[in-house]
Amino acid sequence: MNGSGKFNRTGWLVFGLFLLLWECGSRSSPKLQVYIPPVSQIVVALSHLIVSGQVTTHLFTTLRRFLEGYLLAAAIAVTVGVALGYFRFAHSLTEMLIEFLRPMPSVAIIPVAILLLGIGDSMILAVTVYASTWPILVNTIDGVRHIERTLIDTGRTFGLARRRILWQIVLPAASPYIVTGLRVSLSIALILVTTAEMIAGNKGLGFFILDEERSLQSSNMYAGIILVAVLGYVLNRLFVVLQEKAMKWRRGMVAREGV
Amino acid sequence: MRESKLNGIFFLLALLLVWELAARAEWVNPLIVPAVSKIVGTFSELLWSGHIPVQILASLKRAAVGYALAAAIFIPLGIFMGLFDNIRRALEVSVEMLRPIPPPVVIPAAMLFFGLEDEMKIFVIFFSCAWPILLNTLDGVRNIDRVLLHTARTFGLPQRKIIWQVILPASSPQIITGLRVSLPIVLILVVISEMVGSTDGIGYFILDAQRRFRVAQMYAGMLALAILGYVLNQLFNLAHRSLLGWHWGMTKKME
Repeated sequence: MNGSGKFNRTGWLVFGLFLLLWECGSRSSPKLQVYIPPVSQIVVALSHLIVSGQVTTHLFTTLRRFLEGYLLAAAIAVTVGVALGYFRFAHSLTEMLIEFLRPMPSVAIIPVAILLLGIGDSMILAVTVYASTWPILVNTIDGVRHIERTLIDTGRTFGLARRRILWQIVLPAASPYIVTGLRVSLSIALILVTTAEMIAGNKGLGFFILDEERSLQSSNMYAGIILVAVLGYVLNRLFVVLQEKAMKWRRGMVAREGV
Repeated sequence: MRESKLNGIFFLLALLLVWELAARAEWVNPLIVPAVSKIVGTFSELLWSGHIPVQILASLKRAAVGYALAAAIFIPLGIFMGLFDNIRRALEVSVEMLRPIPPPVVIPAAMLFFGLEDEMKIFVIFFSCAWPILLNTLDGVRNIDRVLLHTARTFGLPQRKIIWQVILPASSPQIITGLRVSLPIVLILVVISEMVGSTDGIGYFILDAQRRFRVAQMYAGMLALAILGYVLNQLFNLAHRSLLGWHWGMTKKME
């Protein structure tokens, strides 16, 4: 949505107006204040939580769980995806299984995970890995299958070893698809971590937010929501920056081909 | 193609067989992983007794209302933002501020307002699919070939007709993409919101079965959910094909 990239004054003005309206509306009605505290109060609560360190442990717990789950899912899904994309037979075996498991909303796995692993870090890790595997896996399979056969055949003709074909032809050629999958999974992983924390956690931002709601500390709850949003935003930006760095080679190539 | 499908079916059946045997031979704890036959039995029992259909209907109702509400508000908004740069710039920052919020964390806030009522879930669903629908519509409208718009204007079409006969059809593939991307999100959020705060619905059913240690019921609920996801996806594909048949026909002819 970043049209021109320059500072959007109207946009910020409207957003500021919205916050002002929030502030005034909330201050004018004490009854409403229980549900929607004034913005200023939320900001104070947020800074208080950060300074006192009350929320930082939750933040880092969520971040650690996210990173563990996401990276593990990426490693598993890309490996399996390349194998399934490359070997037709393996793909034909698992296609039905994937088609059946994938449409099931991944959060439904949480109760099973609680049953098998109990309440704790390993449960949250498992559901995060499970849910964020699918987009990466399916995209990787697609990417590998869409590689032009000539590319691989050329590699073979030049007598490249299997391992080098994999690293120097298959993975780079499929990388745009893989990156798409990784991008989709980023938000899914965060959704799963926070959800699992809400349903069965005693730490983490998801737990914190729900807990504050239950004890009617609405300022703290909104502060927690803001923190999760910031976390999501930062992770997304980081991804875009890394992606641009990693995929730079490709832009040059595509442009040269005039596509 | 046909052979590969057969392979897939065989593999799936083999897996289920291994599962069945493993549960019967008690290689895995059958209290935690019951035999497939038991799950299927429980499933059909719950299906015919109406337990599962009732829960699924409750979930579907919420999903449909939230989804329809989001489409009704954010498709027009996306069109206006795409057509008028001023509106887009005015709302851009606010959208960018709200968008990174992972939808599940909105649930506690919604519970504060609506309690455990249907409105809570509807709001969460509405919020979760707002952004894919809005941004895809916006992109679709902004990417319309300007010549189309200019032609329509040259022929003196009124704005309303331009919107209905030029803009909507031309951006419909992307609008539908937005609706399609939202579909699994909607389903996920229904389940989550029912798990966190509800007294019915398929998400509640599954978590409740786990908490009461009715394990076969829990798996049966998951099976129902998987089937639901699959059917919804297929239905959407079907509607997609019949709605956008003209579009594919056209792009093919152009090639």
